[in-house]
Order: sequence, then structure tokens, then C-alpha cells
Amino acid sequence: MKKTLLSILTAVALTGTYSCTNLAENVLDEASVSGLSNQQLADGNIAPVYALLPTIFLHTNYFAVQEISTDEAILPYRGGTDWGDNGIYLALHQHTTTSTDPNLLNTWNNLVQSLSRSVSAINALPTIKDGSAQVYLAEARGMRAYYNMMLLDLFGIVFVKEDPQSTSTVLRGEAGYNYVLSELLAAEPNLQTTVGPGRLSKGAAWGLLARLYLNGAVYRNRTATSFTFQSADMDKVTEYCDKIINSGQYKLASDYFTIFNQDNHTNPELIFAVDQRAELNGTNRLAYFSLSGDQFPIPAYPAANGTDGPAITPDFYQSWAQAYSPKDPTVDPRFYRQNLSIYTNPADSCVSAANFNINRGILRGQQYGLLRVNGAFVRCPDGNYKVGKLFNVTRNRPTLAVNFTEQVNYTVAGSDYNTGYRVEKYEFSKKSTSGRNLGDADISIIRLADVYLMRAEAKLRKSNDAAGALADVNTVRAARTFPTAPPALTSMSLDLLFRERGFELYWEMVRRTDMIRFGKYEGTWTEKTNTDVRKRIFPIPQTAIDGASNIPGYLTQNEGY
Amino acid sequence: MATNVYSFPLPPNFHRWTVVCILLGLLAYAAQAKSPVGNLSTRTSVADVTVTGQVTDEATGEALAGCSVVVKGSQRGTTTDANGNYRIAVPNGTTTLVFGFIGFVSQEVVVGNRTAINVGLKSSASELNQVVVIGYGSTTKRDMTGSIKSIKSADFNRGIINSPEQLIQGKIAGVNVTSASGEPGSNQTITIRGPGGIRSGSTPLFVLDGLPLDNSSTGGATNPLTFLNPGDIESIDVLKDASATSIYGARGANGVVLITTKKGKAGTSALTLSASLGVSKLARPLNVFSASDYRREVTALGGVLDDRGASTDWQREVTRTAITQNYNIGFNGGSQKLTYFGSVGVQQQQGILKNSQLNRYTGRVNVSQRMLEDRLTLDVNLNAAYTDNQRPPIGSLVGGAISANPTYPAYDSTGAPFQYQGGTNPLIALKLNKDVTATTRVIANISPSFKILDNLVYKLNIGLDYSNANQDVQSLANAVPQQDGRLDSYYNTNRNTLVENYFTYTLNRGSHNLTALLGHSYQKFFIQGRNWSINKFPITPVEPIYNPGLGQDLTLANNQPGGYAIQNELQSFFGRATYNFKDRYLLTATVRADGSSKFGSNNKYGIFPSFSAGWRLSDENFLKSGPFTDLKLRAGWGQTGNQEIPAKITQALYTAQVSGTTSYPLNNSNSYPAGISYTRLANPDIQWEVSTQSDVGLDFALFNGALSGSVDYFRKVSEKILLQVIPADPVQPASTYWTNVPDMRITNQGLELDLNYRYASQSGFRFDIGGNVTFINNVVTNSPYSVITSGSANGSGLTSATINGYINNQPIGTFFLKEFTGFDEKGMSTYRDVDGDGLVTDKDRIAAGSALPTKQFNINTNLAYKGFDLAINFNGISGNKVYDNTANASFYKLRLSKGLNTTPEAVQYSQESINNSAPVSSRFLKDGRFFRLNNLALGYNLNPKAIGMNRWINNIRLSVTGQNLFVITPYNGYDPEVNGNQAINGVVSYGIDYLAYPKARTVIVGLNLTF
Repeated sequence: MKKTLLSILTAVALTGTYSCTNLAENVLDEASVSGLSNQQLADGNIAPVYALLPTIFLHTNYFAVQEISTDEAILPYRGGTDWGDNGIYLALHQHTTTSTDPNLLNTWNNLVQSLSRSVSAINALPTIKDGSAQVYLAEARGMRAYYNMMLLDLFGIVFVKEDPQSTSTVLRGEAGYNYVLSELLAAEPNLQTTVGPGRLSKGAAWGLLARLYLNGAVYRNRTATSFTFQSADMDKVTEYCDKIINSGQYKLASDYFTIFNQDNHTNPELIFAVDQRAELNGTNRLAYFSLSGDQFPIPAYPAANGTDGPAITPDFYQSWAQAYSPKDPTVDPRFYRQNLSIYTNPADSCVSAANFNINRGILRGQQYGLLRVNGAFVRCPDGNYKVGKLFNVTRNRPTLAVNFTEQVNYTVAGSDYNTGYRVEKYEFSKKSTSGRNLGDADISIIRLADVYLMRAEAKLRKSNDAAGALADVNTVRAARTFPTAPPALTSMSLDLLFRERGFELYWEMVRRTDMIRFGKYEGTWTEKTNTDVRKRIFPIPQTAIDGASNIPGYLTQNEGY
Repeated sequence: MATNVYSFPLPPNFHRWTVVCILLGLLAYAAQAKSPVGNLSTRTSVADVTVTGQVTDEATGEALAGCSVVVKGSQRGTTTDANGNYRIAVPNGTTTLVFGFIGFVSQEVVVGNRTAINVGLKSSASELNQVVVIGYGSTTKRDMTGSIKSIKSADFNRGIINSPEQLIQGKIAGVNVTSASGEPGSNQTITIRGPGGIRSGSTPLFVLDGLPLDNSSTGGATNPLTFLNPGDIESIDVLKDASATSIYGARGANGVVLITTKKGKAGTSALTLSASLGVSKLARPLNVFSASDYRREVTALGGVLDDRGASTDWQREVTRTAITQNYNIGFNGGSQKLTYFGSVGVQQQQGILKNSQLNRYTGRVNVSQRMLEDRLTLDVNLNAAYTDNQRPPIGSLVGGAISANPTYPAYDSTGAPFQYQGGTNPLIALKLNKDVTATTRVIANISPSFKILDNLVYKLNIGLDYSNANQDVQSLANAVPQQDGRLDSYYNTNRNTLVENYFTYTLNRGSHNLTALLGHSYQKFFIQGRNWSINKFPITPVEPIYNPGLGQDLTLANNQPGGYAIQNELQSFFGRATYNFKDRYLLTATVRADGSSKFGSNNKYGIFPSFSAGWRLSDENFLKSGPFTDLKLRAGWGQTGNQEIPAKITQALYTAQVSGTTSYPLNNSNSYPAGISYTRLANPDIQWEVSTQSDVGLDFALFNGALSGSVDYFRKVSEKILLQVIPADPVQPASTYWTNVPDMRITNQGLELDLNYRYASQSGFRFDIGGNVTFINNVVTNSPYSVITSGSANGSGLTSATINGYINNQPIGTFFLKEFTGFDEKGMSTYRDVDGDGLVTDKDRIAAGSALPTKQFNINTNLAYKGFDLAINFNGISGNKVYDNTANASFYKLRLSKGLNTTPEAVQYSQESINNSAPVSSRFLKDGRFFRLNNLALGYNLNPKAIGMNRWINNIRLSVTGQNLFVITPYNGYDPEVNGNQAINGVVSYGIDYLAYPKARTVIVGLNLTF
């Protein structure tokens, strides 16, 4: 009996030893960072502040909300599984977007997360003993202001947060505008001048300040029937534009489309841009989005094609056509660049891989390009690539030519794969294996031409200084000398300036803001007839509203949604 | 009679034997009555006496083959033959024979001077002495005070069974089993007495032969319980109320399912072979337009008609008549000291979608050894299973088949799938994609128990549950449509180890009976997953799975390996005392202190008590003369917990990494800084969800047990609800965090009724009808949120909309949607403006019903006559709705006008504009009630003698089983019993049907041989 008792006790003791635990959680697969050098800490804190920019500026995020909602872009349901999306792009164009729109949600989520990362960096950087910490701190503060500026513009809301543990204060309207302004002004003195265009430099802050002052009237009273542009604001616009122009640091590009090339990081026209690197964060979405599914821009990659996404509206096209009538708008080098001579010389149908570049700008009519058969491009006897008329082969409509038409709308005929003139502003990345990935081009946020046009607008709005404004506009026109500069304008007005901003900045994600400021957002174009001024801002995504429902009154939905 | 593969079969010609038995029984009774008792003592002899007789089932008169007959106090014993007859030489002076048989109450009979003894054994299944497994022990139905239902193998559902939940679907009041889809091995949602939480993790605790299983996925897409061979299962006991489950403390809140596998029996030996062949077809195809209807409808809408002249039924093209084969060999037996059960099983199941296959190979050995003068009993259970699951691209197949243009041919003139490159021929997707998971799972436990004193037993239970899964997701390189090819491989390892020590003390003194249990348990879980990928394969006949090295592109951006490893520990102390006085007044108290590594130091341990009492009214004198064979009133109260949240919630995570979303170029160099960011916020105070449950029940049996049943009322209130919430302030490092929502409550209350009536006629006709009804009312109260959303909608443009929303005073599973009211003059949808502000917005969403049924009803019938037996199982639910996300995403006018096929539902409103979008709304919310003939099994037991094989074969059984033979429902999707996982932030979704794998209708023919 004693023996058995002993053996039981032994069993209990043995298993007990194995099984006695203090239940401390043992984390195996992750560790919070430690042991970083001061420089790693400083760099590691500022990098995430910028890191979501490529996602924010994605074709379906900021691009969609800023452009498809305007007269510059329309995205009908192309057919089959292409861009049906249960009507969200139709709604965006018609100003009937609802609070469950997934693209708005993605844009919102990336913006608020970037705000949070800015707050974290602002709190961490002062404790890091590294030479760059001071500058990074100013950049984090400036970027927090920039993200809030985007939220203010899109959703009419601003979040004030200093302490990561606290709950943000919500500001709207003029209070939000004043906060963003004061933060940008506070960040500016400690910014560097030469870290651009990928990071927030002094020039970038000046450009943002000019843009903010220019839109101040809108942000102060969003739903006003007509905006009151204060002359003090306009003076500030001029002041900051002058600072940029007089700095001599930036230069208008003579060859317009080089501003949007893959190697544009060093283009002196860019003041502030999203720094995309193929090997880290770059996408090619802006270049691929509008092209036909049968346009294959890269000889090396037979899987890289377009998607028959958005087109420009006939209304926007007519603004070009009428401006240059009876001449073709191609007299303006910003409208179009022919890179394949087959469009004008049908005999030139064999092109080497190195020389194959698709046309840029606004693409009309029959398209030519590489011919893909059984997954490979057709070659000429000399080994070069065969270039020919394109057909909608990938849409299983091999007899339907890829022939872009002016008319595009929501009717069955108007929404076919061919409808609408397309835009290839950014260069299609030569590295992009899928057409979607591996982009290298920086995405422009502020560039010098915009600065000239903002100054022209301030001059018009302050004192109707048409001569001064005309000079700024013609400075930009005159600079685009490759291959030949567009004709100089002879008169200037707000309407002409609005048109000129479209010519210079089309598809650069400023159109919605411009249309609101110029009082054009309630106009009628293609399928759009809505005139509700409350649509000047978007609804706050429903998940955010629902998530905040435990604090009554904290996050209320924008009026009209 | 039971048809389960290892069950002990009916002897042939049993109807004749029934008559004989009854006659013999009557004679024996008469003889006994006439014998003067004094004869017993006067007879003395030194020689052995041969005793013969027959053993039968007392209730039915059916002969029992393989029943043990042992001379009490000796090693001598025998078993009955196929006809229940036995012959045993009894030494002189022996006074007692012991008759024993699985599933029956063993009986001791005084021999006296008789040489012929016929015995009728009482089936324990029909009696109060039925053993009920309760966790760390067992009790009898007579003595239990909690709400527990025990289902024996004879009563299991038949047919093709992938996991144990399917065996008991519809058998137990208050238990709702819903399959996620019709895919072989698909997940089963099982809720016991309603969902007590709102995040995933409302699954009950499964305990296999004393080893609590982890409900984590073991890799791949199949239900982790698919590894069990249903033929190995002896019984499934479901603990429903807190007084029963609180012995499992922090894991008891959702109920506990105890699975007991088969064991051998001393003095018997049997070998069972079974084989079955099943044929399955798509049960209810969707009513999409045929080619001719499609041409007419597209033209009528003014759409783009691309007519290729064919007439293709795409649903037929992607599905098939699927064959399932099942083979099992089982053997069991034993001597006095050693008993064993073993089995080997193979099931090869084709799914009704092409290229869908689930193979299961299982082996089991259960051994029990008694040693040291029977003081030591060593139980060993060993189960090894290998499952092999191949999945086609289900979404593309189903989505493609219901949307593809029916005028396109399925195949071109060469017999290859016809290529239309813009959309995708689902058959091409089928050819190019597959997903294969091979899972090995081994479960072993050894549990020696030692009788220290006659009334004190010490038991040690050591268990291991190990699984390893390799999943390969392959897409082939192809020219048209062009794709580069890719292979993704995932490796999962789960390890769950258990050490338990406990003591059981029993005291029987006069009218006082006490059993006390005290123990300690330590369980450790380790879960690891790793994955690798490689891209760009040459177009060759070699599949990437077999040679990943053929891949030509491997970059960190596209092929970054991933992985995780999680370790959790649970340490528990538990005790239980049961006391009864005069077998009439029953008391049970349990307590478990559970500690978990998932919680912070201030909340490591939770204490979960329970109390219950029973009063056996039928044993009271004032009721003894009544019709009640049994009448017992039960009442219980208890607290249980739920700890099913991810690990590491109490710790923040702050990482530095170079990735596209955390890093950014700071200068012109090509090296990028590691971005530092919080990826998880800590909640050091997080603690258990607590559920408090009360139960009052009445068990009854009348007319000698012919009519029996039970009624239970329960109320279960869950508090400290664990939830991953979106912070009110959107400016957060991580988009969600975990918390116990203050004040929020989820209440489930309901009524359960189980009824059973059995009848056996003299002619051998047996009839058994049972049924159960459940009424459950689930409600959320005191939620600080105006809504907690779940159920993310699927389909283009719908992805940020939500379908389910949990709001105060509504049940979980509520659909929270805009109410569709028709169309305006432009043909665009209109919705009810609930708040009357002139705008239809998300503020106008309403609670439009719930996916949870308010009523569940099930009918189980068994009939037997002359070698034939028939089992029928109907399941029904009502009061629930289903969100038809498939129709929402696929069947609207705009799509049809663009050439995609739809059902007539898309054009049912002539006034609807073709540009009308179809956002999530009550338009696609449908009544989900149904009544299903779930299971029908017809068996025939052939007399081996009739074919001259009686020398070796004890029984031959032929059976035909039908599964899902019909379903009556107003729902027009594939099947109303569907539960696609559309959880958001772990908040579980209910009742959403989106391109689910359709359900099959199956007929199985089977043959069982017993030797």
C-alpha cells in the first residue's frame, strides 16, 4: 500500500512539475522593436508617416473620388465583369455616393491611419537624439496638417490629436480650416528646402499653404451659393506662390509629358510628390487604369495590359476642341504625344522593343500596338515587334476594333469597351510585369505649373488683375516648347482660367476641388444632373459612424447623407 | 435496428426467435413460479452442471448475439451465438451467472437447480440506468441533475458523414447544427442554446475520450473534426446547461460535446466489414435563364447579345454525379483483463463540383488493461487520421456557372474548354487552379486509474493531439488566358497536450450516497503556420506542386514568406460533489478555477461555480401507483466562461519593418528605412466573457417507458462580452482593439421539448417515433453601440456594405438593412425613409429579421419488421431569414443587359431601370424556413443460413440511405441552410449565402458483414 501510494505521489509530482505554470504568455512570433540606433529610430518614425501615400493616391481611392466625381472622368459599367461594381462608379459620377462606398472607406482609413502615424511620430521624435529628428518632427507635423487638409476637403472634418492616448477633437468648417492653417504655418520654419519632391519641403509647404488659402472661402462656408474670397487670403496665395517661383529651385518642363515619366523623381517641375519606387511601394495603376484591355504597352510583359477603366467625358473633350477650333487640340502639346509613327504612317509596322512607347495624353480613335496571339507578341521577320490595329480580342470581341469614341455614357451603346477618349498621362512602367504593379513614377501633388495658375487665380479673384493672370498662364504655356508650344492666350477670366487648369492639370486629382471653388460642381455633364450643394463633401464612411456610436454625438454624419 | 458499422447486428430470422423467446420466457417464468424455493438448497452435487438458454432484449424479444455469460467470481465464461443461445458448464456450488452486453444493463441470475435459463436483458438505452458521460466521470440518467442528452451510435444520422456534428443534427433539442455549405468536409456551425457571444468562438468545447480539443483550424478549409471516423464513435453526450458544463469552466459557456469512442468487451469477439457506395448530385440548381430565354431577355432589355449559338447549362458543366466509397473494418473483443477495439476506415468522397474530393483514412486502437488485482486500469486510445482534400476554385466555378452566357459553348471543336477571354469560362478556371490540403492528425491518450482504496480512485490522463497540414494552392502557367503560374504552400502544425490528475471518492452509507471529485488540469496549445510561394512557371505538363523549383520568379515583394506561432496555456483546478439521499433527492455542486495565458496578470484566473438539484418524484409514495415510470424535476444554476479570443491581446506590438505600407524613401538611395508602427494595441485588463445560466427541467417516462421525454426551460445571460471594436476616434495606430464591452448583455432563453414514443408488437413490428422542438429567444441589451456591424457583403461594389448588425433589443444574427420599397419614376430603387428626414441614408437601416430560427423541430422515426428496418429523420426550422448575397451581386438587370446570365429574379420588375444598382437592402432578404427529409435509411438483415454462410458469418446487412432527399422551402437560392463566413473583425456573421458550394442529394447503398 505504501509503495502504491508512493508511486501515485510520484506520478502526481512528476506530472505536476511538468504542468505547474504561472501562465505567463510566451510570445514566439513577434517582438516589439528594441536596440535600434538613434538614426534608425528617427528614420523609422518618419517613414510610416509618408508610407501610405501610394495607397491613398491609388486609382480607386483618391483618384476615383477626385476625378470620377467630375467632368474630367466617367467610368461606366463596361460589361461582363469589368467595372460593374454594383454601380459605385456610376454613383460617384452622379453625386449619389453613399456612406458604404468601399473606395471612400479605403481613402478614409488610409488618411486617418496616416494621421495616427503622424501623431505617434510627433510624440516619439522629440525624445530621439539624432540630427534629423528636428526636421522629421516638422515634417510629421506638416504631414498631419496635410492629411487633415485632405479630410477637410473630402469629408469636411478635421481631427485634432496631440496625445496618442487621448480621443481626438473633431473640428469642422472654419475651425477645421484654421487648425490646418496654423499647423502648416507652425511646421514650415523647420522644414528643409532640398528634401523634395518625395518629402515635405519648405516649397511643398508653401504650395500647400497657397492651395489652402485659395480654398479658404470654400472651407469656411462649404455650401455657400457663391464663395467670398477674402483679399487677405489671396495676398497669401500670391505671397507663397512668389516664394516658390522666386526661389529659383523649380523649373517648368519644356517637354510636358516628362513630368509624368517613370524617371520623374528628378524633374525640376515637381515640388511635392508621392515618391514611388518599383522595388518598394510603386504601383502603375494610374497608367494602366484607362487603357484598353487590348493595349499592351511593354514588349517584355505580355500580361501587362489596360483595363478599360475611366474615360474623359465628351464635355471635357469639347472644352479642348472648342478652345482650339478649327484646329485640332493636338496643337497643344499637353493634349497628346504621338510616340508610335504607325498612327500617321501605316507602313511603319515593325518596331524594336527599345523604341516601343505608346502614345501619351488623350487617346482618340483607332489604337495601334503590340499584337498578342496565344500569349506572345507577334514579331516581324526582322525580329522586331509587329505593330498593328488593335481589336478587342481579350474581350472575346475580335472583330470590334479598339477605336475610342468621343461619346461615353451609361447607355448600353455608350458604355461599351470602346467608348470615351482615354488618358495615358503617366508613363506605363517598363518594369510592370502585370501592368498593375512595379511603378516608378512619382505622383505629383504640387508642381510649378499649378503654382503659376494659383497665382493667376489669386490675382483674378483679388482685383480682377486679368493682365497679371494672363501673364502667369502664358508663362506656363510658353514653357511647353516640345515639340511646339501651344498658342498664347489673349484674354483671361475665371472661366478661362478654370479651362486652363483642366488643360494643364487634367487627371491630377485636383479637379473636384477646382470645380467646387469655381462654382461648377453643381453643373450638368454627361450623366450628372445632381445640384445638391451638400454633395460638395462626401459622407463619412458608415463603419466609422457605427464604430463611434458608443459616444453619442462624437462623430455625426455629414448633412445630406 | 442500428446499422452503424460496428454495432452488434441482429441475428437472422429474429422474428421467429422473438416468438420462441417470448414463449421460452413465459415457460421459464411459469416454471420458476411453480418451483418450490426449498429445492434450491436441497440440491448438492460435486460435478459440473451444464446450463443452456437464450439471451434476448427484454423490450423487443430480439435475440442478442455475442452477449457474455460469466460464472460469477470465476474466470469461466462464454458468449451467446448468433441466435442468442449459450451453453456453459457451471461448477457445482456456483450460484450466480452474470449476463452482460454493451448497451444493456448486466444482470445476475441465481442458477439454483435449473439447467435452462433464459434471460431478458434490459436495454440501458431505454432505461434510467443509461450511462451518461459528464466530464471527468459518468453518471446515469437516473442520477443526473443537469441538462444532458446522450445520443448512442444506433441513433446517429447515417450516410456520408464528414464530422461528428452531422451525426447528431436534429437529434437534440436546443442544439442547432448548420453546415456552412455543401462542400465535403465543410465547416459546421453548432450552437447549443443560442449564441452567447457575438464574435466567432461560439462553438462548443469538444472533448474526445477525455481530451478537450482545440477548435482552431488545423489548416486548409475543412472542418477540423473531419478526422474522426464516425464508425468509431460509441456515443455523443451534449452538456447543455451550466450546471453540467461548468466543470469545463472557461470553455463551458457554449456547451460541451463529449465524444466517446467504442471499446471492447470482455469475453466477446467480433469482426465487422462494411462497404458502401454513394451517388450524389446537385440537389437544387439555380433557375438561371436557358440559352433561348437568355436571348429573348437580353434582347428585350436592349442589351448586348453576343450569341454563339450554343445552348449550355453551365451548372451542369461544372458539376457531376459524384461517387463516394466507404470501407471499414472493425474488430473488438477481449478477455477478463484486456479488452480492445480496433478499426481501419477509408472514405473517398467526390464533391458534386468537378475536381472536388475529400479522402479520409483512419485507424484506431482502444485498449484497456486491468492489472494489480484489478486495482489498476490502463486505458489507451490511439487515433491516426490522414485526410486529403482537393478543392476547385469554388467561387469562380459557381459564380461563373450562374453568370456565364448560356449561348457560349462549353468546349470548342477540339474538346478543350471554349475560350472567351474577357470573362472566364469556369471550366478554364477549373483547369488552371487547385487547392490541395493533406492533413495528418494523431490523437493519443493514456489514462491509468488506480484504486487506492475501495472508494478512492486516482486517475491520471495524459493526452496529445497533434496535427500537421500541408496546403498547396496552385495556378498553372497558361498562354490564353495569359497567366504566369504561381504556387503558394502553407504548412500548419497544431499541438495540444494535456495532463490531468484527479481523485474520485465515493461513499455509500445507507440512504446517503456521495461522490466527490477533485482535480488539476494543465493544457498547452501550440499552433504554427508558415507559408512560401514562387511565381512564373513555364508552360509544361509538370504541375508546380510536384516541382516548385521550376518557378522562375521569386521576390520579396511578391513572395515574402509568412508565418506565425502561438502558444497558449490553461491551468485549472476543479471539483465536483454529488450527493443523493434515498435515490430521490439529488444534489450536485461543481467549481472550476481556470487560468489562461491569454489574460493579463490581474485577470489570470476565473472561478466558475454551479449548483443543481433533482427530485425523483416517481419514487415518492404518492406517485408510485401512477402512470409514471419516471418523473424527475431538475433545477440548476451555474456560471461558465468563454476565452476564445486570439492570443497576445494583453500585449502591444510595435514593429519595425520594411514594407510597402510601412516604409518610404527618405532620400535617393535604394535602401529604405524600417518603418516603426503599432500593429496591435494592448488591453492588459481583458478578461473572460461570463455566462450565467439557469435551467429547470422535467424528465418523464410513462406507461412502462413507452412514452418518455423531457422539458427544459433555460435562461442564459452572457456578460463582459469580448469584442474587437472599432475605436470611436478613428485616429488610431491599429484600426481595432479588443475589449470586454461594459454593460452589454446577450440573453438566450427558451424552451426545449424532447418526446419519444416506442411500440413493439408481438408480431415483431417495432415502431419508435421521437421528436424535439426548440423555441429560443435571443436578445442583445445594453450595448453601448447603436450598432455593431458584421456580414460584409460580397461582390463588386458591395464590399464595404454590411449585412448583419447587432443592436439593442434584437437578436444576434439580425439583418440590419435599408428597407426596399420599390422604384421611383426613373426606375431606380427606393427605400423607406425611416427617420423622415427626406433622405434615404444608412440612418434608415432597420432590423429586418434574424438568421437565427425562433423554432427548430425535428422528427426521428424508426420502424422494424421481419429483418427490415427503416430510420427517417426530418429537420425543420422557421422564423429565420437568409440574405441572398448571390442574387444581390449577380442577379440584377444591369448585368443581364451586359451579357451576364441571371435568374428571372433580375427582370421581375418591368419598371426597373437597367442602370439601377443593387445595393444591400431588404430586397435580397428572403424567408429561410425549411423542412428537410435529411436522412432516410432502409436496411435489411439477411439470414446467412439462407445462403448457406451461417458457419462463418453472423449477419449480413444490406442498406440504402438517402441524404437530403427533399427540402421544402420558399428560399430560391441553392439551400437555405447556409452560413458563409463574412465576419468583420471577428464579429460573426449569420445567414449570408454567397456563391456557396451547393448541397448534394445523395443515395448510398451499403453492405455490412459481421463475423
